[in-house]
Amino acid sequence: MSRTRWLALGWLVLVLAMLGHNAWLWTGARLQLDTDVLAMLPLDERDATVQHVTRQLTDSASRRIVVLVGGGDWSGARRAADAYAQALSPYDQVVSVRYRVDDAMAAQMVDFFQPWRNQLLTTQQRHMLGSQPPEQLAARAVEALYRPMGMPRVGVWGDDPLNLFGTWLATRAGESRVRVADGRLSLVDGERHYALLMLDQRGSAFSMAAQEALMPILAHAKQQAGGAMPTVEVLAIGVPLYAAAAAAQGQHEMHTIGAGSLLGIVLLTLFAFSAIRPRLLVTLSIAVGLMAAISVCVLLFERLHLITLVFGASLVGVAENYGTNYFSNRLGRDPSERWHMLREQGSVMWLAMLTTAIGYALLALTPFPGLRQIAVFSAVGLLAAFVTVLWWFPFLDRGTMGATRLALWIGSRRALWPVLGRNRFTLVFSLLAITLLVLGARSIRVNDDIRLLQNAPPELINQQMRIGKLLQLPSPGQFYLVQGSNQEEVLTREEALKAQLDTLQAHGGLSGYQAISDWVPSARQQGADAAMVERVVQGAAGVRALAMAKLGETAKPMAVPAPIEPLRLDAWLSSTASEPFRQQWLGRFGDGYASIVLLRGIDGADKLERAAALAPGLPGVRWVDTVAQVSDVMARYRYRMGGVIAASYGLVFAALAWRFGRKAWRALLPTALASCLTLSLLAVLGQPLQLFNVLALLLILGMGVDYGIFMLEQPDRDAVRPFLSVTLAAASTLLAFGLLALSATPALRAFGLTMLFGIGLSWLLTPLFLPATIKPIQKVE
Amino acid sequence: MLFLLALASHAADLMVDVRSRLGQPAVLRGEFEQSKQVAGFKKALLSKGDFLVARDRGVIWRTREPFASVLKLTPHEIVATQGSEIAFRLSANTEPSVRVINGLMFSMLNGDIAALAEQFKIAGTAEAKSWSLTLVPKQAAFAKILTRIELSGDVYVRRIAMDEANGDRTVIQFHKQTPEPAKLSADEVAQFD
Repeated sequence: MSRTRWLALGWLVLVLAMLGHNAWLWTGARLQLDTDVLAMLPLDERDATVQHVTRQLTDSASRRIVVLVGGGDWSGARRAADAYAQALSPYDQVVSVRYRVDDAMAAQMVDFFQPWRNQLLTTQQRHMLGSQPPEQLAARAVEALYRPMGMPRVGVWGDDPLNLFGTWLATRAGESRVRVADGRLSLVDGERHYALLMLDQRGSAFSMAAQEALMPILAHAKQQAGGAMPTVEVLAIGVPLYAAAAAAQGQHEMHTIGAGSLLGIVLLTLFAFSAIRPRLLVTLSIAVGLMAAISVCVLLFERLHLITLVFGASLVGVAENYGTNYFSNRLGRDPSERWHMLREQGSVMWLAMLTTAIGYALLALTPFPGLRQIAVFSAVGLLAAFVTVLWWFPFLDRGTMGATRLALWIGSRRALWPVLGRNRFTLVFSLLAITLLVLGARSIRVNDDIRLLQNAPPELINQQMRIGKLLQLPSPGQFYLVQGSNQEEVLTREEALKAQLDTLQAHGGLSGYQAISDWVPSARQQGADAAMVERVVQGAAGVRALAMAKLGETAKPMAVPAPIEPLRLDAWLSSTASEPFRQQWLGRFGDGYASIVLLRGIDGADKLERAAALAPGLPGVRWVDTVAQVSDVMARYRYRMGGVIAASYGLVFAALAWRFGRKAWRALLPTALASCLTLSLLAVLGQPLQLFNVLALLLILGMGVDYGIFMLEQPDRDAVRPFLSVTLAAASTLLAFGLLALSATPALRAFGLTMLFGIGLSWLLTPLFLPATIKPIQKVE
Repeated sequence: MLFLLALASHAADLMVDVRSRLGQPAVLRGEFEQSKQVAGFKKALLSKGDFLVARDRGVIWRTREPFASVLKLTPHEIVATQGSEIAFRLSANTEPSVRVINGLMFSMLNGDIAALAEQFKIAGTAEAKSWSLTLVPKQAAFAKILTRIELSGDVYVRRIAMDEANGDRTVIQFHKQTPEPAKLSADEVAQFD
């Protein structure tokens, strides 16, 4: 007795230490949660560059909300937007607003580029100057002079008779549809005018408090805008809104599904055991398991991944079986018998634990750091929960526990199950199962597209599309990464890429692109452009001289322009002119520099393929498709997970054979069959197979085999306790995980549906496969 | 404070006065003489022709001398043609300022003072029949290009003078303006398409 006391005490010391560690982690917000799915890829496969870029892009975008207010004429839009901004102004600590802009901003852009005006040309201008005879260009310059109104011109005619600079500026400004009007950012779409507001959320987009504060404020502002303009259209988009929608969804489900399952589980235990103690203790065992898992993982990995927390927590849920089994066996026994009972049950519980741990241990052997983390988390959690049951329960559970009528009734239902053998039931059952399996095998399909997991409200997605169209935003998920050893090399490589993109655009492969070198061409390009302008326009036989002759004016010789330094990237980056495009320049990057080139109008798989095909032929250019990459990660995980599950079945069978000998298959086959039938059912229902279904299968193996073990240990038809234990455990699992099938979050729904079918079927099938021997016959033997 | 109010009401009165004198028909045709003094040029550039302003459609500006060319300004684009050749085309889809330019041209020719007041600070005088206004851009970016516009007229705008920031000055005189016929001919409609 003293040995058990020492074990319990030792465990208490350890648990207290972990409790302290957890408290320290959670209260100080010291727990670093990784949310980047790419962080779960193996080190050698994970591309550090791409990860770095993605992080840089998402970090800057994760707090931004873009709001368009208007829909009618400009004065209405302006009034409404003023009211919107006004309503937000008292909440500066929640969200900062950028709305009123300096009228002089557009003028500043003109001033900034003016010194370099003779060396900045658009592709079209280059083509025009290179292909059209100077006489024709001169005629055009003269015609333009007689127009009462045209493209605004900067400076005197003689400096720029073709208005190259005005056109260059207009082309650059055309990159964005946003204009400054009345000291506000504005946008015109046909007859509809909008004012643009940029909001930046304070604090993290994923912090609950920030989200809860944000939404009512935005709703209030929208209302105020409606007061100023009754027909107002308010479009808002940004990561914080998606996060808030997801949080609201999650909270709603936690309140309904979560509360429902908790209530169900508590009621179930209460009625079965006529005491709350079993539920409290089972919960305690799982809580200790989770705590231990978090402590150990943080010590081993430093950063904990969000996915680990979600899946690890569910995998630890298998520990439910041990506590339930303990109490089912305690039922109707004198408290003094509990030590004896535990010794008797100990070996079978160890086996149940071991078979589950096998699956988790195999996970740890995969080369995926994400899976390894989940494995360590689950295994540690499971072991800790198990140890809690074994070492603490006898001390904490001293009271009597009478067998309730409900418990006896549940346990005795076992006798209703038919036995497989040479009978009609077996025939019908086999036919049904085979039909379902064949149907499932024929309709099963795999889909790892990460977009399947998106479940933003349609309203938000509509707004995203409207705003994307209105602002002509480039695609955020796909882009080119351009690298070079110095800034000039990056820019020249961008220019080589753009030449290819122009061809692609001419063939309808995209509608436009956005690059740093549009604004700051390489020094080489600037030099070539300056030479071209000098030769074709300003030279002795150039456009200017020809046009002057046509007009009967004597051309005053141009003051010989001093050789001008090229416009440098750093100058542009530090000016306000670069503000909307700065994020595309990644600056120092690895050994050199890098930038990204964004694309517009690149929808559809074939367009993406054509764009991706350009990169391999261009030095320093890489195609990055973050959506495809994440989907790829999901596919590898699913594949690897499938292998782990197959191997687990083999090892679990070995462990079962060691204990049960030739009867071992009876404990394993029900779960295997249940898993196959589950996959078939999902396939028949049209659910594509994803990582989340496969993850659930591992959990089903861990739980289902426990049912088999507990039942096979006492296979008699009139044995009440094993079936009670298995039924209560299955019911709790169904309530905890199966109810997730009701979730609106696709990943959780896929997981929950798989658990619902898998656990339900495992429970249903396990008694069928028990040996047909009943006590009297055993005696005869 | 009172002084400010008086000023404001004066500007508002002026606008009402001028608007009450202006015809602003749905369709207006007439002839023009344009003189443009380009900075650095000895002689002013003279041109003559006729124009058509149609509400909801835009402006056709047809130069006959010294060479034939047509400038079409609609809410969607600016197109300049010489003979059958397009010399210049700018779409509002790619360049939103096309709307501003075309709106300005339309408002000046048609005397839409209310529209002009959105972009310009307006001052001036109104006599029994005639009036004259001076317009200064409200926006800094606009003022970088166009410093001042003078408009004068009676039932119609008779004279426009524009000063550009680069020193160019354009003066346009109008004659024979008429609102009849109030409907566009099929030929005129075709010109806008």
